[in-house]
Amino acid sequence: MRQQKDTSVAPLKTVGHATPRIDALERVTGKAIYTNDRQLPGMLYARLLRSPHPHARIRRIDVSKALAVPGVKTILTHENCQVVWGAGGISGGLQYNDDIKKITRQRRYVFNNPLRFVGEPVAAVAAIDRHVAEEAVRLIQVDYEVLSFVLEPEEALRQEAVKIWPEGNLSLDTQNRAQPVTTRRGDVTEGFQASDFVFEDRYSTAFVHNAQMEPRSCIAHWEGDKLTLYTPTQGISNCRSDTARDLGIPPEKVQIVCQYMGGGFGNKNQNQDADLITAMLAKEAGAPVKLEFTRKDDFIGVHGRWPTVQYYKVGVTRDGLLKAIQLRGYSGMGGYRKNTGAIGGIDIYQCPHIESVIYPVYTNKTVSGNFRGPEYPQGFYGIESMMDDVAYKMKMDPVDFILKNMTRKYRDELPYTNYSLEECIRRGAEAFEWKTRWRPQPGSDPGPVKHGAGVSFMAFRSALGRSNAVIRLDAKGKYTVFVGVTDIGAGAKTTMALIAAEALEVPLSSVEVVWGDTDRCPYSVGESGSRTTIQTGYAVVQAAEALKRQIAEKGLPSGDNVLVGSASPNPTLEGKIRAAYAAHFVEVAVDTDLGHVRVTKYLAVHDSGRIMNPLTARSQIKGGALMGIGMALHEDLIYDRRNGQPLTAGFYGDRIITHRDAPEIEVIFIESDDGYGPYGAKSIGESSKVPSVAAVANAIFNAIGRRMKNLPITRDKIMGALA
Amino acid sequence: MKTFANSNARDFQQAVALVQQTRQQGRAASLVGGGSDLLGLVKERIVNPDVLVNLKTIRGLDQVRPSNGGVNIGGLITLDTLSRNDVIRRQYSVLAEAAETVATPQIRNVGTLAGNVCQRPWCWYFRNGFPCYKNGGNTCFSFGGENQFHAIFGGGPSYIVHPSDTAVALLALDAKFRIVGPSGERVLPAAEFFALPQQNPARENVLAADEALAEVQIPALRAGTRSTYHKIMDREAWTHAVVSAAMVLEMDKQVCRSARVVLGGVAPIPWRLPKVEQMLSGERITEALAAKAAEAALEGAKPLAKNAYKVPLTKGVVRRTLVELAARG
Repeated sequence: MRQQKDTSVAPLKTVGHATPRIDALERVTGKAIYTNDRQLPGMLYARLLRSPHPHARIRRIDVSKALAVPGVKTILTHENCQVVWGAGGISGGLQYNDDIKKITRQRRYVFNNPLRFVGEPVAAVAAIDRHVAEEAVRLIQVDYEVLSFVLEPEEALRQEAVKIWPEGNLSLDTQNRAQPVTTRRGDVTEGFQASDFVFEDRYSTAFVHNAQMEPRSCIAHWEGDKLTLYTPTQGISNCRSDTARDLGIPPEKVQIVCQYMGGGFGNKNQNQDADLITAMLAKEAGAPVKLEFTRKDDFIGVHGRWPTVQYYKVGVTRDGLLKAIQLRGYSGMGGYRKNTGAIGGIDIYQCPHIESVIYPVYTNKTVSGNFRGPEYPQGFYGIESMMDDVAYKMKMDPVDFILKNMTRKYRDELPYTNYSLEECIRRGAEAFEWKTRWRPQPGSDPGPVKHGAGVSFMAFRSALGRSNAVIRLDAKGKYTVFVGVTDIGAGAKTTMALIAAEALEVPLSSVEVVWGDTDRCPYSVGESGSRTTIQTGYAVVQAAEALKRQIAEKGLPSGDNVLVGSASPNPTLEGKIRAAYAAHFVEVAVDTDLGHVRVTKYLAVHDSGRIMNPLTARSQIKGGALMGIGMALHEDLIYDRRNGQPLTAGFYGDRIITHRDAPEIEVIFIESDDGYGPYGAKSIGESSKVPSVAAVANAIFNAIGRRMKNLPITRDKIMGALA
Repeated sequence: MKTFANSNARDFQQAVALVQQTRQQGRAASLVGGGSDLLGLVKERIVNPDVLVNLKTIRGLDQVRPSNGGVNIGGLITLDTLSRNDVIRRQYSVLAEAAETVATPQIRNVGTLAGNVCQRPWCWYFRNGFPCYKNGGNTCFSFGGENQFHAIFGGGPSYIVHPSDTAVALLALDAKFRIVGPSGERVLPAAEFFALPQQNPARENVLAADEALAEVQIPALRAGTRSTYHKIMDREAWTHAVVSAAMVLEMDKQVCRSARVVLGGVAPIPWRLPKVEQMLSGERITEALAAKAAEAALEGAKPLAKNAYKVPLTKGVVRRTLVELAARG
């Protein structure tokens, strides 16, 4: 353990300096090979038939006409393909593993019957070209028994609602019990009795899609009993073990290749049904197969953030001190439970009595799963709007309310490895000129354009964990780093090279990175949970140390000899909690004649430990903040309640924000080194979206004096509130 | 998308003849200029052409030419070229402003003026392939459904809103449209080109299936005329007007001699406001008059369940656009 240095770091030689990505040139010149760029000899093309109904049973499926089309090689349906997609739907919504596989009852197959949402795969066709595959899809005849459907989680729990699963619509937990997820500390009844004021409110959030640039595509290729999948995945190791488990083959018979990819934000975690379907088609057809999704397929066929309904009850003393927080929440998981459905945020407050009861509920909407800080942006919108409102009603400045009630120990109990949350808030408030931008009386500007300011803050897990790295040194002095990372967009390849150069005390130019291929790289944790830099980066430091010891022992290699250092560390935190911290300050201008919101100033203050590369780190903060603005103001997969059809799939319909919507976003890093991770690095990627939605919503309240309780805060809602 | 053949046209007469021939053979044909709208429709199988008749091979109809003091604009001019044209920017700024609000730079680089005017609606029911009036059915799903962006004027039986920005500007400029068909040409005033759903719920204009919009003719404007286009969007780029207003005012010092005021995003066609125009002519445009005009603009509005916000929004747009334009000296 190195010496802990809280909130100040001594400069290093390579790490911490703004460095362009080592692969920037191939990306911007089109030389970088993405999955869909690959062509294999004799490759077939695949297309899917997707359910046109939100809920239906397949009575009969006839593929004879489709099979008769010249050029059609293989068709898969639920009748001839019964592969379980383990990560696609799990009791408890946790990470898929052998224990979960044994117990889980609400299994998802790659082709299911009944069908539980519009867009669910019904059949897959592989053919000699894309047009033939599409024509064949249209000739598959399906006799559907159309069932009634339910779209909203609260409605789905009513007695009269159609049952999407035989066990009912409350998703089962890991022990197959139908119970809400409940967390209690203290006794809220006691807490409310001890309160001078009690406030209650309801907030809701919409389904928003990950909307990554690259739609899903996959190429499968069998050589004997070995399967190679070229697929955009955020974790080649997880993708390999999940795919092997689902197909019933040994992991060493599966090779996953993914280097460049066009983003994912969580919807390329683990393996996907596209991987399994393509693998099965290629096996049946005896030829490589490429499956491609359209943008619409991607929106309705993969997953997005779960929509929520959140009921809060909050008790405070006369002095504005929190006494009790109670949350009853409902999360719409879609037809399958691909994630927990948690609603996070309460833990950011220090409070003696809390109770959180969350119902993860099946609905006939598109499936919900991982999306950048899975349970937080929606949860923080709820709790931070609620607390902003409590502060307003208590006639307190929200910054003062936060400073009075924020977490100082995790769940009031465990110490943090370092604590700079208060500094994030104080420094942010000062740099943002909070006192002049925030309106003590919300909506008090004369108009028609009214300004207001909002604040939100967060802590995000930065836990340690297992990962691996191997570094090889040859006689020419080249260091080759083998790490099983892909690049979701955060620049993992460059980050690993920077860390290796620092640890080896060599120039960046003598380091090369081999990545994104399970046959060439050791296990890596995967680009999810904002863990890659912390876990694999630490493994790189350890591998470098191992290599340096060998050099010290044996001298530099000569001729054809090489030296290899490797590490498989699995560090732990010894009873502490490790978190990244942030506070976001937002100013908006609301044109009250037109219902138009414009973010006019945005400041994000983050402690993400030591910053490995300020260039990419800043981009991560800006990207997350922008996503939060889009979630706050625009994005919504709207369904027609009469027929259960999604209407706004795609970048146009979902109103994903554009470059012209982006305000200048100022980023301040408060760097720290708590002695853990590579040089003190903590999580970044997901944390930047966590507080941004709430900060925008609170700024709108401050500008117009109306609390916007349902996301997204669209023009019609603003004009309605002001009418 | 399904496979199709491409057929290059030499001129508009040949293009419409190719369409007619294809149709007579029982196959579907689509005219394609920039293709930015058609491509999406074909990919979604909203239209399924066997033959694409390519208009980009026609020469000479991508320019702005002076004519009798006004201008004739070839239908194949790209929106980007149009919005950068000096004459258009100087004399017909409403059109330049409308063209530069369309979609994105990429789309404006290929999308044409004729294609923009004839663009199909962006109603999500139509674009998602619901069997609505626009897709050959006999229902408007927005009625009783998700109608946040639908019509508050002129709706029924379909409640789509006309998607074109340039169409709103062209009606405000009193343009005429030269239309080529298999039996020859006709020239229609813009006001007669667009068709309400009562007239034909499947289409947005009077073009027959084998006709094409070849050219737009804009008359000369009187001295002292100024114009502008104000578009309200739900994000800052790449979306259609929630509400828009095109205004052409002929001013004599502070007094408005005549006015043409047309709204977009509120009706199945560009929606002209003759009563507002009358209120303005001969008057000095003050804040008070603009507010009165805005009230009058919304007379007869019939919002649906989810688009009532368009009423105050439109009022705000009319009032502010008028005041701002009048103040421009």
